[in-house]
Amino acid sequence: MLLLLLRLLAVLLHTAMVFAAAPLPAGLLAKLRARLLGRRGPPLLQPYVELGKLLAKQTLVPETATELYPAWPLAAAAAVGAAAVLTPGFCLGMLGGSGSDFITIIGLLALARTAVLLAGMETGFAFGGAGAAREVLFGIFAEAALLVVVLSFVLMAHDPTLDGVARQFRAAPPGISVSLGFALAALLAVALTETGRLPADSPGGQQELGMVHEALLLEYSGRYLLLLQYAAMLRLMVWLGLIGTMFFPFGMAEAGALWSWPLGLLLWVAKLGLLAAALALFEISAAKMRVLRVPEFLGLAVLFGMLSAIFLFVAARFGA
Amino acid sequence: MKYPSISPLEGPNIKIFLRFAPGSPSGQPKSQFLGSGASRPQPPEALFHEPASFRRGSAFDSLRLMGSVTLPLGLPGQGMNFGIDPLSALFLAVLVPQVVAGAIAGMARSATFWVFVLGMAVALAGRDAFTLLFGFGLMSAASWLLVLRGDARPATLYGGVAAFSAACLVPAVFLPAGGLAFVLVLLGAGAMAGLAPLHAWLPRAHPAAPAAVSAVMAGGMVKVALYVLVRYGFVVLGGVAQPWWGVLLVLAGAASVLVGAIRAMLEVELKTLLAASTVAHVGLITVGLGIALWAKAMGDGVLAALALQAALFWVVAHAMFKPLLLLGAGAIQQGTGTTSLDWLGGLMRGMPKLGLLLLAGAAGMAALPLGPGFPAEFLLLHAVFAAAARGGIGGRIGFAALLAVLGLSAALALGAAVRLVGVGLLGRPRSLRAAAAEEAPGPVLAGMALLAACCVPVALLPGLVLATLQPVVAMLAPGAVPLPLDYAPLPLALLLAVLAGGAILALRRFSRRGSREVPAWAGGFGKPPAWLPFGDPATQPTGTGFAEPVHRALGHAVLARGGPDPGEAWLLAPLVRLQAWPMRLAERIRRATLRQRLAVVFAALVLVLLAFGISQAAGRAG
Repeated sequence: MLLLLLRLLAVLLHTAMVFAAAPLPAGLLAKLRARLLGRRGPPLLQPYVELGKLLAKQTLVPETATELYPAWPLAAAAAVGAAAVLTPGFCLGMLGGSGSDFITIIGLLALARTAVLLAGMETGFAFGGAGAAREVLFGIFAEAALLVVVLSFVLMAHDPTLDGVARQFRAAPPGISVSLGFALAALLAVALTETGRLPADSPGGQQELGMVHEALLLEYSGRYLLLLQYAAMLRLMVWLGLIGTMFFPFGMAEAGALWSWPLGLLLWVAKLGLLAAALALFEISAAKMRVLRVPEFLGLAVLFGMLSAIFLFVAARFGA
Repeated sequence: MKYPSISPLEGPNIKIFLRFAPGSPSGQPKSQFLGSGASRPQPPEALFHEPASFRRGSAFDSLRLMGSVTLPLGLPGQGMNFGIDPLSALFLAVLVPQVVAGAIAGMARSATFWVFVLGMAVALAGRDAFTLLFGFGLMSAASWLLVLRGDARPATLYGGVAAFSAACLVPAVFLPAGGLAFVLVLLGAGAMAGLAPLHAWLPRAHPAAPAAVSAVMAGGMVKVALYVLVRYGFVVLGGVAQPWWGVLLVLAGAASVLVGAIRAMLEVELKTLLAASTVAHVGLITVGLGIALWAKAMGDGVLAALALQAALFWVVAHAMFKPLLLLGAGAIQQGTGTTSLDWLGGLMRGMPKLGLLLLAGAAGMAALPLGPGFPAEFLLLHAVFAAAARGGIGGRIGFAALLAVLGLSAALALGAAVRLVGVGLLGRPRSLRAAAAEEAPGPVLAGMALLAACCVPVALLPGLVLATLQPVVAMLAPGAVPLPLDYAPLPLALLLAVLAGGAILALRRFSRRGSREVPAWAGGFGKPPAWLPFGDPATQPTGTGFAEPVHRALGHAVLARGGPDPGEAWLLAPLVRLQAWPMRLAERIRRATLRQRLAVVFAALVLVLLAFGISQAAGRAG
């Protein structure tokens, strides 16, 4: 009974923290990026300020939008939110840990992406449609790579849930293996695609034609835009949590053991910061890419995923 | 000639046997049959008899209550045996909603439609090879007529495929159980199911029929063909199954999935798009069946059960959402005069109910969570995970590649669904007729609503569906223990509802209320002129334009350059060339000069004399 209560408490704490801290990685990323480029950059809490600004703004609905216009932001935010609740953060063994199946989480992220795509096509103008077409193309390769990477993990840990994989790796770290290296490379590429940070995208730019993810949000304003932007930030958080849980589960707390929580929380914050730093480093070091080159980039991710699985099979064959 | 009849199955099957025709294999002489409990005199030529033809005390005794009929049909000495076991019950049950929906949506008066349905039912309930093939043939012929009503050209192609299918299935049931029989069944049933490489006809023929028929063809007929595959692969030939049968199924399924998914993404016609997606879903079902057959032959009961669950769940889910989508496509065609995505758009405004129903179907097609397709996709991916954990290293790498193909196809299916909804239902109208579209007629909406209502338990209570499937799984893979399903849609739906509700409440509390309708910003391009009420339609991507990036990246790699489909380019086109060859030969004979004709006659004479002489000499020597 106490255990159940603790696990429930862990979920609530995890949810509260993830939802409250969701804009932080975005702010940290922007700050680090600017610093690495030799600029001062925006304040760390700038995303909060922007979300607050949107709260005060009026919501404008385009004339050509259909009745479903408000539904998409809500669906996107709810789906990413559900994925955020299910993805372990600072601790394992949360209530609903068995629901953290890889396929369910991938499905929820796909649901969110679908909602954003439809939001982009809702009004029926050029930029949204073009952005959606590109996003669909990226998603095709990203999903293939993601599934193959997940296969490696499921086979290594003999468990199809994120919770189980992390538990297995925390108990018996697999060490540094070629297979994991390839998997990490593939997963990073997928994460970049999924969070709209590919070097082909120019989210901060002024040219709509160069945007992919942001082009989908062009016709939204006010509270709906807030939901969509918050969903994008939350998505970045989910991906950081996902990679952190899969590759660096050491030090994660156990939901049933209250005394392990502080260390888990501390390490969680540190991991998120390090991952954000790695992402910023990648972003400034990668040159801009033509949109049509993205399939090749993501094809490489599929290849890395396959290589990861193949190395795993070879290792299993020779008992290495 | 001995029939390898479909044996009754062990296990908890429902013992309903309808025995038709005198002299059935149960060994009753005809006189006894006529003389036994018949309470009233019956003319021998009567088509319908009292259910007196069954021996007392046997399993058939219960049939007296069922009102069975005796038909002097079928093969002499064999008759037509009907019975329902869990497998046929499942496929029959899956047939019911879509047939009802199709009938409501406008086919109730068509006799051909009912013959088509009867053919499917006979094939599913038949308990011997003749009855099964008879029903299959009836189904093919009736559906051919229905396709012919729509368009003559695909009907010819379809007739050819049906004939090919029959030509494969008929010898297959006479052959001794073994690899050859299985390959023939796979060719015959696979051709009718639209399994690669024999799938090219399906995206041509299915859309030609009226929408309600297309719906039942996609949701039902394809399933009947898969039923034949399952019936023979797992039950009749199940005793001698080899692992390579499963590998064959997986390969054919994976090819169908890939080609079907890409074509569904690229096609512009709504019904063709949905038919191509049917090819992909048939492929997914076949992949599941293949893994199950492979695992069963290898003796892995758990994996076989998991893969079977996945395949059968896809059967159920696809039979609900695909007819729904096709009925909707028919309503769109009726309302706007076209099914081309390039001329649609903004239908959500004129047809809100139809739009919402289509949205539900599209969620199933894309296998999104909380949609009817997701539990099936979930099970299938887990089956592939489990399959990759065993077997040789080649097989493992193959399964990893299969997973990449499935991921690619899942994302393509999602793209196709987004394109269907985003281009067809959302945005601005691309033609005046799309702008003026009115809500679909009531009966069509009622049929679609029925199917959507059937989708709800499939989507939200997958545990219940799996419990219903359990007898079938136990029958096809005896002794298999399925694992519990780790996907719980109800808590997930609750979580989503709580999050969405929380977001709404928070926004209502903290954000500025109300909204104002304004011209779309459109990157600063401003309001369109008054004579273009929806703006210039060319300023939003069309269906073709939306698919262009995917076509550029994948279309050339997967689809053939010569045609829209590799099955067409490499299979149908050579066949067409081959078909022209005898015609050219006949033409050359017709144009032969007198001298050539005389030469042929002379050569024939010499040959005949030569043969005659040789035979004479041989006879004398003998």
